[in-house]
Amino acid sequence: MNEMRTIETISPIDSMIDAMIDDRPADGVFRLDRRMFTDPELFEAERRHVFEGGWVFLGLACEIPEAHDYFTRQIGRHPIVVMRDGSGSLGGFINSCPHKGSRVCQLAHGNSRLHVCPYHSWTFDSAGKNRGVKWKAAGAHAPAFDELSHDLRRLPAFAEHNGFLFGSLVGDVPPLSEHLGEAAKLLDLITEESPDGIELVPGSVAFTYHGNWKLQLENASDAYHFTSTHPSYLKVLELRAERPDDATPRSVWESDQPWSEEAAGVQGGSYSFDHGHVLNWGLIPASPAHPMYDRVEALGERLGPGKRDWIFNMRNLTVFPNMQIVESAASQLRIIRPIAPDMTEVTTWCFAPRGESAAARRQRIRSYEDFFNPTGMATPDDAACYENCQAGHASGLVGPLQGYSRGIAATKLGGNVFSDKLGMTPAANVLADSQLCDETLYHNYYRAWRTRMRAGVAREALA
Amino acid sequence: MTRDEAAEFLYREALHLDRREWDQWLALYAEDAVFWIPAWKSETEQTSDPDREMSLIYYEGRRNLEDRVFRIKSGQSPASTPLPRTVHAVTNVLITAREPHAVETSASWTVHRYDTRRKDAHVFFGLYEHRIERRDSEWLIARKKVLLMNDIVPSVLDVYAF
Ligand code: FES
Ligand SMILES: [Fe+2]
Repeated sequence: MNEMRTIETISPIDSMIDAMIDDRPADGVFRLDRRMFTDPELFEAERRHVFEGGWVFLGLACEIPEAHDYFTRQIGRHPIVVMRDGSGSLGGFINSCPHKGSRVCQLAHGNSRLHVCPYHSWTFDSAGKNRGVKWKAAGAHAPAFDELSHDLRRLPAFAEHNGFLFGSLVGDVPPLSEHLGEAAKLLDLITEESPDGIELVPGSVAFTYHGNWKLQLENASDAYHFTSTHPSYLKVLELRAERPDDATPRSVWESDQPWSEEAAGVQGGSYSFDHGHVLNWGLIPASPAHPMYDRVEALGERLGPGKRDWIFNMRNLTVFPNMQIVESAASQLRIIRPIAPDMTEVTTWCFAPRGESAAARRQRIRSYEDFFNPTGMATPDDAACYENCQAGHASGLVGPLQGYSRGIAATKLGGNVFSDKLGMTPAANVLADSQLCDETLYHNYYRAWRTRMRAGVAREALA
Repeated sequence: MTRDEAAEFLYREALHLDRREWDQWLALYAEDAVFWIPAWKSETEQTSDPDREMSLIYYEGRRNLEDRVFRIKSGQSPASTPLPRTVHAVTNVLITAREPHAVETSASWTVHRYDTRRKDAHVFFGLYEHRIERRDSEWLIARKKVLLMNDIVPSVLDVYAF
């Protein structure tokens, strides 16, 4: 019997977590086991512990500006609803009826004072309070029923940072400000693009791919792939430059080629933040190809030259584990949702500074569609590469991956002259020339992944 | 243009795409043609103003379709190499408006796409709205608007699959 107990108490996931990541900074080694992308049990565990066991991004407050507005999303497997109540307060709830579990709110977004469950008409207000149990008086309930709350269940943690909304299905999380840490300054910078903040362009676009969610996570931070995966897009930009035409979309890449060998010196780099957030960035001078070019002076006056320059730079920000904001050809917000070890959904929005001119907005949208959409000229090439990687990982067993090695010898703790301009102190940074293409920022993802996984396993062992 | 002629015109466009007859496909478009696939902004409503709302694709000018064909043929797009196979089926063709030198049509479409990399088939479906104009002696597409009903894109979706 004793032997049986021992076997039961050593979680196979627990030992697997440690085996996945060969992380030996002193030896300059970071290697990843391919089962990270394929193993079904590991996937189940990370969906519970990474997505359903800590802070995840939910959406923007500006999606629900009016009293009683709401939007629905998912945290891991759970349907959730975020609502603004009659007094203007935001709340996050499990979108599942306490009666028999039906989803209560059916639409992606809407406005309603009362939400009537479609199954037996229990009714909830926009603060999640139960406003009616149908035929309650005639229900012959035992007193024990009245002791229960019949409200929608609130998310155990829900918080806002400057219009960015986050929630967690477990309550023992650090305060959001601690989770975001210094990376919050990059979210703040985005909201400063206009004195009135940002807004989403109506119409979201979602795509799926047959690959693990971490492939998307990594790709946004992958400076190395751009000229290899997207040469067809870059060739189209060349064609457009040869035959200029008002009808073609603009792109910040059309004239500036920070990866070329002529681009000497520091061209960008990466920042790693506590809790798994990362930024990779590239120097891009303000040019008419950028939709904010008409406000370059106003931005400088309002924010100073340091922040202004950062606004024009390419910035790919990941807030671990499910949010990415990519600013280059235009501005994209993505939410990553894992569905299976080899299936991921990415929902995307174009966001924009409020109050920009009609011409700038049009230019932004054209540029966005052309580059970012899954029906555009770049994202499908990324997705095809994710699927090729997933195929290459199929057995999970063919030796560790080597793609976490660039930049190890260039990593410095803390910030640098560029992060100083934002008053931001990351945990680590790499300054890169045009071809360094740091891969150490992925280490940060996997260290945060490991921390959440271990915490989740420990939490379950206690429960 | 009669309804039969309009239907034949749409069938021909579809066949050119499925046969990868890119030049013949492009030749069906007027130089200033609009190619538009709106995005959805809710369960029931598509975007209607491409300058203020998102589209999956919005191009003014055949030039942009030529660029897309260039990319597809370039051999340098992982999503297009090898190119998925497609078959269009176009049906329910109606003339919805008629002017002296133009007709507008609606039609239903399905596109079966076979991804040879993954050995995987997918069906896209939706509605077409074409505006076909007589320019000099030729009938040309002045505007193609595609309503895509199943709009979660399975990794790759390009102009040849609409
Ligand atoms: S499940 Fe909601 S009222 Fe019964
Ligand atoms: Fe890419």
